[in-house]
Amino acid sequence: AEAVTTLCVRRYAVEDVPFSVPAASETTDLSHLINKLLAAGNADHKYVEFDFLINGQFLRMPLVTHMEVENISTEEVVEIEYVEKYMAPQPEECIFHDDWISSVQATEEWILTGCYDQTARIWSLEGKSIMMIAGHTEVVKDVAWVKQDSLSCLLLSASMDQTVLLWEWNVEKNKVKALHCCRGHAGSVDSIAVDCTRTKFCSGSWDKMLKIWSAVPTDEEDEMEEAANRPRKKQKTEQLGLTRTPLATLSGHTEAVSSVLWSDAEEICSASWDHTIKLWDAETGDLKSTLTGNKVFNSVSYSPLCRRLASGSTDRHIRLWDPRSKDGSLVLLSLTSHTGWVTSVKWSPTHEHQLISGSLDNIVKLWDTRSCKAPLYDLAAHEDKVFCVDWTEAGLLLSGGADNKLYCYRYPATASDVGA
Amino acid sequence: PHPTSLHSLQDIRNTVGNIPMEWYQDFPHIGYNLDGKKIYKPIRSKDELDMFLEKMENPDYWRTVQDKMTGADIKLTDEQVELVHRLQKGQFGDVHFNPYEPAVDFFTHEVMIHPVTNRPADKRSFIPSLIEKEKVSKLVHAIKMGWIKPRKPKDDTPTYYDLWAHEDPNSILGRHKMHVPAPKMKLPGHEESYNPPPEYLLSEEERLAWEQQDAAERKLNFVPQQFRCLRAVPAYARFIHERFERCLDLYLCPRQRKMRVNVDPEDLIPKLPKPRDLQPFPTSQALVYRGHTSLVRCLSISPSGQWLVSGSDDGTVRFWEVCTARCMKTLPVGGVVKSVAWNPNPTICLVAVCVEQSVLLINPCLGDKLLYAATDQLLEAYAAPEEERVQPVRWAPASPEEHTRGIRLLVHHDKAVKQVTWHGKGDYFASVVADSGNRQVLIHQSSKRWSQSPFRKSRGLVQRVLFHPLRPYFFVATQRYVRVYNLLKQELTKKLMTNCKWVSSMAVHPAGDNIICGSYDSKLAWFDLDLSTRPYQLLR
Repeated sequence: AEAVTTLCVRRYAVEDVPFSVPAASETTDLSHLINKLLAAGNADHKYVEFDFLINGQFLRMPLVTHMEVENISTEEVVEIEYVEKYMAPQPEECIFHDDWISSVQATEEWILTGCYDQTARIWSLEGKSIMMIAGHTEVVKDVAWVKQDSLSCLLLSASMDQTVLLWEWNVEKNKVKALHCCRGHAGSVDSIAVDCTRTKFCSGSWDKMLKIWSAVPTDEEDEMEEAANRPRKKQKTEQLGLTRTPLATLSGHTEAVSSVLWSDAEEICSASWDHTIKLWDAETGDLKSTLTGNKVFNSVSYSPLCRRLASGSTDRHIRLWDPRSKDGSLVLLSLTSHTGWVTSVKWSPTHEHQLISGSLDNIVKLWDTRSCKAPLYDLAAHEDKVFCVDWTEAGLLLSGGADNKLYCYRYPATASDVGA
Repeated sequence: PHPTSLHSLQDIRNTVGNIPMEWYQDFPHIGYNLDGKKIYKPIRSKDELDMFLEKMENPDYWRTVQDKMTGADIKLTDEQVELVHRLQKGQFGDVHFNPYEPAVDFFTHEVMIHPVTNRPADKRSFIPSLIEKEKVSKLVHAIKMGWIKPRKPKDDTPTYYDLWAHEDPNSILGRHKMHVPAPKMKLPGHEESYNPPPEYLLSEEERLAWEQQDAAERKLNFVPQQFRCLRAVPAYARFIHERFERCLDLYLCPRQRKMRVNVDPEDLIPKLPKPRDLQPFPTSQALVYRGHTSLVRCLSISPSGQWLVSGSDDGTVRFWEVCTARCMKTLPVGGVVKSVAWNPNPTICLVAVCVEQSVLLINPCLGDKLLYAATDQLLEAYAAPEEERVQPVRWAPASPEEHTRGIRLLVHHDKAVKQVTWHGKGDYFASVVADSGNRQVLIHQSSKRWSQSPFRKSRGLVQRVLFHPLRPYFFVATQRYVRVYNLLKQELTKKLMTNCKWVSSMAVHPAGDNIICGSYDSKLAWFDLDLSTRPYQLLR
């Protein structure tokens, strides 16, 4: 038996005194203990499952085994944090598409998906199809919201036809119009990201370049200048929207860029097939630093809450990096559980320790970085490769893949976790 | 016993005592009697002659003794002679003595019920002896006091002696150890023979030349001579000279030790690199591209790495996006596709597909629009030359229906095409036809729509051809050899000996230095082109 001190959550506070617990106790036993203490203090306390952390690591085995593995001495008082147990996400909706889903981005009210049938679609959170956005001549590879208000929303779709289209969607009338066609890339545009001011966006493509564009719709004056410069094309497709050229081009990658994001107001992070993640200064266009790995990076995600970059690569690991580290290639944590390429990772917008990842082994995994040996939950609903995952702040997990389905899960929005 | 004398009854007992009678040898008397009067010896003393006569004649000589006291001869009686005999035999003197009296036991030999004594054994007979204990303690005390030194235990460890510990390395013995052998003399060869073969004899010019050369320059110090027989060989005039020169060499020339190269054999074995350094190599399956309904025969990947093209027995060519395994396009070509090759030039978007008897050049229209538009322009910018050249194949542009599918040019061969491969720059490509003549290998130029058959003579069944990625070399793999031709000089450069019976496939490293050949007899030959024509390694 060891002595244990428990720390309090605001809602579930207990006295801060040491307790003696049996060595072989597990999570359920400790949970019972806390509940008894709370019930003693509060008459109408309902039973709540708790999850326990020792030194930032989740307790997943009997207490004594955990302490042996972690080399914690049993002589001293051990601090155990407890948080409300994170319940399994419940599958809610399944939205059927006509072809593979390449990307998904959701807001509080709408879900935007990009599909391999050359369209982007907007759905409601209940799974009702609101709008279909067609205009690309090739597969749509990435989609992003620029801004939404109640009247109209701006959104972007990037496609294999080397263009990014800026659309305006009138919510009331439910009509969509292409405002701009951003041309400039010489290869399929695989990834786009909008910055926090919503005025710019950055795109990464197979031609190894990153281009920064303005996301603000402009009027027709531009068309006059563009008309003269527009190259004559043999196959005349309808020009959707006005042509837009990039504000800046960032070159430095030696292979295709698979994923881009804005990690700061003026900082762009790009992951590429040349095994590096590069951080760029958006103002000057200079390369700030490079994080090098061993295998192709498929996807990156940044969390401002914990200031970490999570990367998914073709060697089936998810790695956490600190973008500010000086030496540039320090992997903080490596999450291994997938048996196929990790195609997409996303941090939780509310929880600083949680992220989800989708992989070619058809499984979406929910991870907590404090328990790095195994994911919290495996969501194995897809029958084919998973290409994209997303979160909403309201409590939805989304994942789409090659089986033409977009799954939505409800996860319980817990109170934010304990401070130390 | 007192002497009995026949001569006189007088008491002539000699009072001399036990003395050697030789003292009275020269005297006439032999002693004194009790009265002190001299006892005279018998008058006639015996001289030698008398004694001799007596010995010979007197039968009692042997029993006559001379009495010491009186000097007279006494004849021994028979009893006395018997006594003497008994004594000589070692028996007892007394006749009546019986040495073999029966023994009288003073104890009895029978075991009685009572012991002689019934005294119990003393305790000291079975406890350690007290006397000895005392003695021992005295010894111990002595040892402790140092009066007695105990014997040192024998040291059984073998002692070693270093024979050379005090040797001076510079001494003469040192020179013997570091012996540098003398340079060897040349062994006699055919020139020294008394009847050498005629080619070793010097002709006139050679002899003149030999004479004009300096003595130091000459290869031979002598002129080879020929004699009829060994008897006719004269004494060698330069013998002493040669021995002298040898001696000079021996003690004047500094000797050099032949340095053996100290090569650790372990160093010669190349260090195998760690597998991590050899990455990337395939470790696990990542993606499966599903779509073909029959055998997939060939694959080629685009130079950018984004697209994959595959040809199959179901008569279609499919284009895939590599990272997602999405089939972008399917092209029915109406025949079994034996080989596909993507143009390695990144600015040209073209795929060469060999379908039965023709090679199709297809523009897949994937990737950068500008690029594939440029490719189309390039292909259409062909101007036919004025005179029709004789070509082994027929070039035909695609029909409009085929054009929509992506096919741009068709090259019709006479026989089935087995393989097609591009040159690194992207303009020339080579095709292998299932023929057996010299028309097996054809080289075509896509921009000029011109084909040629580069070989005049066929050297075997050609399995594969390849262009060198960087240099103007052309590799032709037949069933047993790989021939390397220089395209600029238009000649054979090398013939690589694979030790395989039937070469099935060949590949060249992108850097251009190494080639590997696989064969149907499960051998892989790896050639380093700079090294030799033999395989650097043969893997089974």
